[in-house]
Amino acid sequence: MKNQLNFNLILLALFGLLLFSTSFQSLHAQKVKKEKVRLKAQYIKIMDGEIYLNIKVTARVKRKNIKVSNIDLTIYNKVNNKKIKVGETTTNIDGESKFVFKSLNSIKPDSTNTYNLVILFKGNDIFKKAKKNIVFKDVNIRAKFITKDSINYISATLIDTNKDSLVGNQSLTVQVQRIFQPLFIGEEFIITDENGTILVPIEEGIPGIDGNLTFEVVLNDSDNFGTVKAIVEAPIGVPIVDESTFDQRTMWSPRNKTPLFLLILPNLLIFSIWGLIIYLITNLFKITKS
Amino acid sequence: MKSNDKLLKDLAPKKFGKLGVIWTCLLIVIIIAGVIAYIDQLIKGQIVTNMRDYALWGIYISNFVFFVATSFVGSVTVAILRLTKNTWRTPVVRIAEIIALAAIIMAGITIMIDMARPDRLLNLFIHARIQSPITWDVIIIPTYIALSFLLLYFPLLPDLAILREHFKKDKPTLSKWYGKLSLNWKGSKAQKNIQSKSIQIIALMIIPVGLILQTIDAWLFSTTYRIGWDSTNLGPYFIAGAFVAGIGALVTVVYIIRRVYKLEDYITNFHFDKLGKLLVLACLTYLYFNINEYLIPAFTATEDEAIHLNTLFTGHYAPLFWFVTIGGLILPIIILLFKKGRKPLPMFLIGLIVVIASWWKRYLIVTPTLLHPFLPIQGVPESWHHYFPSVHEWLITSATLAMALLIITILVRYLPIIPIQRTADEQEELLKTNKNAEQ
Repeated sequence: MKNQLNFNLILLALFGLLLFSTSFQSLHAQKVKKEKVRLKAQYIKIMDGEIYLNIKVTARVKRKNIKVSNIDLTIYNKVNNKKIKVGETTTNIDGESKFVFKSLNSIKPDSTNTYNLVILFKGNDIFKKAKKNIVFKDVNIRAKFITKDSINYISATLIDTNKDSLVGNQSLTVQVQRIFQPLFIGEEFIITDENGTILVPIEEGIPGIDGNLTFEVVLNDSDNFGTVKAIVEAPIGVPIVDESTFDQRTMWSPRNKTPLFLLILPNLLIFSIWGLIIYLITNLFKITKS
Repeated sequence: MKSNDKLLKDLAPKKFGKLGVIWTCLLIVIIIAGVIAYIDQLIKGQIVTNMRDYALWGIYISNFVFFVATSFVGSVTVAILRLTKNTWRTPVVRIAEIIALAAIIMAGITIMIDMARPDRLLNLFIHARIQSPITWDVIIIPTYIALSFLLLYFPLLPDLAILREHFKKDKPTLSKWYGKLSLNWKGSKAQKNIQSKSIQIIALMIIPVGLILQTIDAWLFSTTYRIGWDSTNLGPYFIAGAFVAGIGALVTVVYIIRRVYKLEDYITNFHFDKLGKLLVLACLTYLYFNINEYLIPAFTATEDEAIHLNTLFTGHYAPLFWFVTIGGLILPIIILLFKKGRKPLPMFLIGLIVVIASWWKRYLIVTPTLLHPFLPIQGVPESWHHYFPSVHEWLITSATLAMALLIITILVRYLPIIPIQRTADEQEELLKTNKNAEQ
């Protein structure tokens, strides 16, 4: 009887210990503070090209902004208080993600022809859940290259696709593509007139491969329309002459294309010096024999 | 005036005393430690060094540049003083030749140590691109080794023949060796003609070859577009620096040999006075180039260059930079301008500081520049932002320095440090002149 009591007591103690440890664990887990993440997203539409979202995820940890990589994000289309899942994406090592829409028809606007998107992060062990709303209306830029009185221009018109109306008083930029950064043409911000149009003269002498220049007309990060970009190609540049020295004898070419002066002069010097050294060594033999 | 017997007794090579044996053993121990470290480096690769992507040249290259600079003493003291007919050079000339040969041999070995795959050494010749300064270096170093050897060997021939006779009775084996090395020197007119003609050719050749060697060494850096190296001044700057390092080493070694072998009658205060003046000239020239090298960039510095100069003037490398500039250049100039400063002991101390400063100067030329690239250092471990040699690097570098000293020690042990024949000839000439004057 006494033994049985002891066994029960031990069992009770073990159970109590288990309960304590689990509750302690949960208490401990509660102490781990999850970090807030910040979602930034930009809607970008390239005319006759891709339509996508540029998403950046950061967090402030220990007073430092860090890029949050490898987290899953879900994109929803909000229509009449209903959320329709559009797709999923994951951030890369720089905390960035590009979510490409198949076409704008894959999402639906609301009754005011406004597109509402929600980017949702469900949260994980380290970061709290977060969401970002994106609202935009669809506009097109129709851009073309024209020549008037021997002066070249880029002409562009901003059109609201749903109303099929012209959008005035919007700031556009015209730029030409370069290797590192685009080169602005005209003023940095050019405002569309009441016809939703801009006309920008192109200065002469811009170099391009085979004389081809790629112009971009950009509506940049507009609150209402996002970023819309139209691309126009025009063969009006100064052709870049290929100045490659690949086949020439240069200081930086491989050894079979060594400059001739560098073959002749140093070798002349080397052979002269070593000729004299050999002569001096023969003098040692002469001393031995004389 | 000393008799020929006295000359031979004073100047013929002597066995080392206790101190000499301890010194040699110490050098051998350092060399063995370095060889073990080098074998480990060969097995594990250069990961055992602290050289990484940015500090890709470290202590090995700065040590190599130091050896190349020191070897310049052969061109300066021997050739220039010979061609300008400065007769006071006689007692120091062979020591200079020995230092030059030891230094240039070790320069060649050090560059091989820096190669992660020495088994590919032959590729430097097989696949040489003459556009590359590395190829120029590969060509000029063996050339300078050959010339330095001949510069030492030709004037030695009469002395080796004297030693052959001197050791004939007491040490026949040694005498046999001296006999073989003396190439049957009998002092005939024909032999003397060939010898003097050869020495004249070497003296004439070694000056341009020495200048080419130092310039190529500088071009290894200045043809690389880097802050601190990108300078048209670097060729003459290196030549002036080599002038200082070479004379500094000469003064130090001359003092030690004079003391150990008790050669006070041959290497007098007069010789130290002359060497002191030569060192002042070298230091002044180098100071001028240093001002050019640092002051003008300080005035016109771009942002990147300003960062580099600040680390030298006031930053991480400031203590070393000011030690090298003040201790290794300005103080020697001030002290050596006074006659008392050109006495043997102060000269030795100055020479020693100059040599140490010269070594660190090369470290300052190589390392800070590599740690200040034009594009920022990023995406690499924190330790790659800095460089300080690892234990392996220190052991191997110490071994190369010990090896140079061992070459000097062995040559000093078996060769007459002061040319016997030449000293005897000079004394004979002096005697004749005195007799003529009396008549």
